[in-house]
Amino acid sequence: MDTRHITTTQAAAILISTIIGVGVLPLPLFAVQAGGTGAPLVTFLGMVLGAIGLFILTFLGIRHPQKTIITYSEDIIGKWFGRFCSLFVILFFFILTGLAAREFGEVVVAGVLQETPLEVTVIVMLLLACISCRNNINVFSYIHSFYLPMILAPVLIVVALSLKNANLLYLRPIIGTNLPHMFLGTLTISALFQGSFIVTMIIPSMKNPKKAIKASLWGISISGGLYLLLVIATVSVFGTEEMKQIFWPTLELARTTAVPGNVLQRLDVIFLAVWVTAVFTTLFSSYYFTIHSIKQLLNLPDQRMLSCFIFPFIFISAMLPQNLLQMYEFIKFVGRVGLLITIVYPGLLLTIDFFKNRGLKGSASQQT
Amino acid sequence: MAFTIKRKRAKKRDIGKDAAPFNKGVKADSDAILSPSLDDTVSGIKQALGDNDDLIMKYFKVFGQYEAAIMYFSNLVNQDSINHDILKPLMYVPDHLKDRNRSLDQITDMIIKETIYHSQAKLEWNMEKLIEYILCGETLLIIDGIKEAIRIGTRNVEKRAISQPETEQIILGPREGFIENIQTNLALLRYRLPTPDFQVRTMKIGRLTKSTVAYCYLKGIASETVIQEVEKRLSEIDIDAIMDVGYLEQFIEDNPFSPFPQIQSTERPDKTVANLAEGRVAIFVDGSPFALLVPVVFNQFYQTAEDYSSRFLMGSFVRLARMLALVFSLVFPALYVSFISFNPELLPTEFAIAVAGGRAGVPYPAVVEVLIIEVAMEVLREATVRLPKQVGGALSIVGVLVVGQAAVEAGLASPITVVAIALTTIGSFATPAYSAAFALRMLRFPIMILAGIFGLYGVVIGIIFIFNHMLSLKSFGVPYMAPVSPENYQGLKDVIFRAPLWSMPKRPAFLNPANRSRLSKDINRSEFGNE
Repeated sequence: MDTRHITTTQAAAILISTIIGVGVLPLPLFAVQAGGTGAPLVTFLGMVLGAIGLFILTFLGIRHPQKTIITYSEDIIGKWFGRFCSLFVILFFFILTGLAAREFGEVVVAGVLQETPLEVTVIVMLLLACISCRNNINVFSYIHSFYLPMILAPVLIVVALSLKNANLLYLRPIIGTNLPHMFLGTLTISALFQGSFIVTMIIPSMKNPKKAIKASLWGISISGGLYLLLVIATVSVFGTEEMKQIFWPTLELARTTAVPGNVLQRLDVIFLAVWVTAVFTTLFSSYYFTIHSIKQLLNLPDQRMLSCFIFPFIFISAMLPQNLLQMYEFIKFVGRVGLLITIVYPGLLLTIDFFKNRGLKGSASQQT
Repeated sequence: MAFTIKRKRAKKRDIGKDAAPFNKGVKADSDAILSPSLDDTVSGIKQALGDNDDLIMKYFKVFGQYEAAIMYFSNLVNQDSINHDILKPLMYVPDHLKDRNRSLDQITDMIIKETIYHSQAKLEWNMEKLIEYILCGETLLIIDGIKEAIRIGTRNVEKRAISQPETEQIILGPREGFIENIQTNLALLRYRLPTPDFQVRTMKIGRLTKSTVAYCYLKGIASETVIQEVEKRLSEIDIDAIMDVGYLEQFIEDNPFSPFPQIQSTERPDKTVANLAEGRVAIFVDGSPFALLVPVVFNQFYQTAEDYSSRFLMGSFVRLARMLALVFSLVFPALYVSFISFNPELLPTEFAIAVAGGRAGVPYPAVVEVLIIEVAMEVLREATVRLPKQVGGALSIVGVLVVGQAAVEAGLASPITVVAIALTTIGSFATPAYSAAFALRMLRFPIMILAGIFGLYGVVIGIIFIFNHMLSLKSFGVPYMAPVSPENYQGLKDVIFRAPLWSMPKRPAFLNPANRSRLSKDINRSEFGNE
């Protein structure tokens, strides 16, 4: 089968558009809650932590260029234990999909469609991802690289337009004040980079798996750079104390900026509308990863039916949190626990794989 | 590549089987060989063709010695040529043959090589084929005692003159358009491509119409896999009648359920040649003034031949305007609906008040109002296409001015709605490819309804749906949204802007051309001024 079509640029685009999602809306709040004026630093540290996880996965992928984490974990830690761990990976992304849909549903209901039931907006979003998941992995990569400009542009425009209201004093002291608190915040922020886990699924389809490192580097630096830019912009416009009162500072930033020429009175609605694409790509990735992994775990030939089959379950998981506040507590909790799956577990796999290989090599050289 | 087609093809085969006995009456047995007896042959042909008054048959004696007959359909041939170039030399023994031995076993050879003044004369022994030839306008010469007949290509069918293409008007550039006759169309291409690499392959499709289908390409430029795929898909068509290339299009396209055209049709020889030179394959059918071009990508549908013949700044600007019109025709009414009914706060206050004032007398929600006007617009548009030219102008004036004005005054619609819909309709006319414009015209309605339910959120959901569908489409193995995604930097020079011709040295890579270089070398333009 000639399935190796994904180029390095496409791989980087997949990473960027997967990482940047609905998490951008509360991101500055998380950062400020954790580090006060040190919010940019917290974001940066979170990005570094996320990058470590991403690079562990990329190295693993390059060592096993034909396989994803679902299949090579069986080789590394044994068939049944590997499958057992994969189950957790799948469950995690299953929940992540549901939560992303729910979170955006909450934003839409609060921001633009006050009278529409939450369930409807969530279902519409999930349905969009569900139907798109029926395509193959090449179309998956086309979709991601196509939407990339529409994901980067709105944030950059809003940041650029808001700069005239910026006050650099709000950003000092850069280090922040409460160090242990900052550590916890770093974990929360790095959980926003968990979408980068998708790299394990695309390496087997890449034209040149060796270049996955380059793609990862670009992916994490562009998305991380955008996060950093956004945090700096929001903190410098609002200041830390005011920000703690705002639920979605990014949206608020869009609201305070105006397009020159008085063409449109407010930007936040437009921002939210364009942001649907960013949320869609994230949702699409985690949905796709979930069904692709289930397919590999069960050795199914096709994922098309699976996409519709798990749709109601994802919807139910999206509806589990009772309200907005509970949902964000849940998201933070799942995110931190998820780090065990997205960073610690691959780290262990890489270490075992490394020693196993050395052992094999050692025994091989002894034999000769 | 052809997953969606498989099912369809299986079905087609079944139909073919059922329909086979129907042909028996028309055709003679496929293996029937001519009998040496003139009477047998003539009666056989007559029986197969039935009673036709335009079937002309004349008995005469070849060189005054052998009984013979010629048969042809009087309306399909040039009778002067038959009289002068065929009958006359056969009846009146030519000087150079007078002293020769004209025995029966040499006579056919002698007739073809030394007697008839016609370049297309051949021997044929198969009864079924002879009948096909005579039906296509050839003349048959049957000689008593010989098992073969001579067929002579005397076909002469009335055709209209080459005129300017009706559907693809341009300001700068060639004025020729294809006509119905396939020979003329191929001649128009040959005249522009005097190269041995230009290849034409023909086949007959249609059990009743036996239409000549030709596909042509440039050898060494077009991708072999595409050529083979075209050949394969065409050869699997089994249908009774083909009236137009549109029939073929429906059989060979990748996804028949998509609203988007996956094959481009054009009336312009210059455009066809340009596409052949990029590595595409053109398909013609006798009787249709359109060529099909495969494979296509979406951005072709808003490009015109003029983009390339005018200077690049001009071409780019016009193309930009056209893209804007394309986007307008898809989303403008939907945006209008969502702004008015969900987010009026986005509009500048003065304008919002003006809009609200205009809508004061309108009883229903914006989405219903826009739908009513849109439907009225579609009816008007269809009516203007079907009406005779003399009446059409009157109708469009009545439709647009009187009905529009009256609708506003009667409180059926607000003036701004009428403006919005009018802009949309005009925008949809700016798309050069009718089929692509039609796709967007259709998709406008679901997006409008989504806008009525979810506002801007719904519009974006609808657009994502459409884009995802477009990104998953393929045309003969080429991704539909190439070169945007999958990205190709050489190709991107010709998507939104049209880069100068000298800066595009490569043919588009997404077509997988066998030979990629278009320019022989990079031109150093700075040298031009330094002489």
